[in-house]
Amino acid sequence: MITLKHFGYRYPNTEAWALRKISLEIPDGQFVGVVGANGAGKSTLCYALSGFAPHFYRGKTEGRLHLNEVDVLESSLGDLAGEVGLVFQNPFNQISGARYSVREEIAFGLENLGLPPSEIETRVSQVLAQSDLSELAERSPFALSGGQQQRVAIAAIMAMQPSVLVLDEPTSQLDPHGTREVFANLDALTQERAATVVLASHKLEWLAAFCDRVLVLHQGRLVADGEPAQVLADEVLLDYGIGGTRYTLAARAAQQGGLVSAQRALPVTLDQAREFFR
Amino acid sequence: MQSSSLYIERNSGLHALHPLTKLALLGLCLVLAFALPDIRWLLAAFGLLLLPLAAWGRILAPFARSGFSIILPFVISLALIQGFFAGGDTALLTLGRFAFTWEGLLAGLTVSARLLVALGGTLLLMLSTRPDHLMLALTERGLPQALGYIVLTALQIFPRFQDRARVILEAQQARGLETQVNLLRRLRLLVPLIGPLILASIVDVEERAMALEARAFSRPGQKTSLISLHDSGFQVLLRTGLLLAALALIVWRLLPLVRA
Repeated sequence: MITLKHFGYRYPNTEAWALRKISLEIPDGQFVGVVGANGAGKSTLCYALSGFAPHFYRGKTEGRLHLNEVDVLESSLGDLAGEVGLVFQNPFNQISGARYSVREEIAFGLENLGLPPSEIETRVSQVLAQSDLSELAERSPFALSGGQQQRVAIAAIMAMQPSVLVLDEPTSQLDPHGTREVFANLDALTQERAATVVLASHKLEWLAAFCDRVLVLHQGRLVADGEPAQVLADEVLLDYGIGGTRYTLAARAAQQGGLVSAQRALPVTLDQAREFFR
Repeated sequence: MQSSSLYIERNSGLHALHPLTKLALLGLCLVLAFALPDIRWLLAAFGLLLLPLAAWGRILAPFARSGFSIILPFVISLALIQGFFAGGDTALLTLGRFAFTWEGLLAGLTVSARLLVALGGTLLLMLSTRPDHLMLALTERGLPQALGYIVLTALQIFPRFQDRARVILEAQQARGLETQVNLLRRLRLLVPLIGPLILASIVDVEERAMALEARAFSRPGQKTSLISLHDSGFQVLLRTGLLLAALALIVWRLLPLVRA
């Protein structure tokens, strides 16, 4: 369970709060999407949940942030690393450079956790297969494309089996096939291991298809929180500069043009759109 | 983005040596570079020790290519500076008040040869040793992991800078910057390259530090490793011999000074 109570965060040497008075609870095993325009606070929320704000960036906090019984604000990054994993946008810089092959790169975090080599081997092989990386296992991570490097970075964190996985726009360099794989793997994590996934992204269609819940941030505040069908169909997202899924936008245009009844709920996924336009 | 280090994978005896053995060899090379008295000895060390070792490691071509491209600017600049300003009686060329002397040229070439031997030892280590193996070997001997990572990063810094510079140059070329030009204009091209290169490198450092933290790098407690390095009694003896030889060279060079 992740708990934030009136949580706020301000980067060093700034006056404005990047996150303001955020209160929410995320139970174990939930797949949560975070949306917002650029500068809304998505990345900062990811850094806060993983302890990087304030432990890496410094800055000032207010309120409380707990991960299960652990007070994130009072713990060190080293202590939090086994509990919460962070994947961020730039794939190249997530390759540690400390290991020579993809297999060893994925094992690096497990070595730091002090796991026995036999367990490391097992976990690495599982994650390689799950992430469709087995064929790249012996290659240098630096010789891979951006999309492949991102899959390695995600696999490396998944192998550590944190109870919470936080991802900041992890699919920005992936093609639709790669994006689907990542979302499907994360969805499986929440269902099979009851891991909590928090994922910030602009890819609303994918969030709508896979997430249990969507948070909307605007100027550092949590302005909406609910099921994807409810949150992502709301017209107010246009005012926040977020837009909507292509299905919602098309359906809304159809309603405004009088082609479809204005009473019908707007779709956010392909299946819902199929029903809507039938 | 092909590689982040100079390491070249080969199936060779040199590659199979324990990283500490190659580090001891580098230590000997550094001592040789500064202890050998003149250019004949230095060239003999390079030709009879380093070149055969590079051939044994099946890295002779990249060794010679890298060595040559790095040392050539030093040879030219040192020969010119020393030739004109180190003094001497045998003038090879006179330009007004300045004389380019044989003695100065020899002094410049000697300094270059010292650099060549030191550089050769470094290249042998870097071309034949996986950086992560070197880091592991050092941390297994008690070096703090953070310090080991700094060593590793130092070994990778030039290839990474090259990769990054290539990406920036390609991006600038794609926006119409002409790079296939004469030397003077190429020097001017450094101006739009250096700014983005430095800024990108600063961002790189921050993000890589975050990536390490996310992988529990700073977690206290016992760590394990999938990699196991092969060592043997023979290699321990070899390392001891190399270090003793380096020590003997230092004593040999210092003894006359102490007696005087």
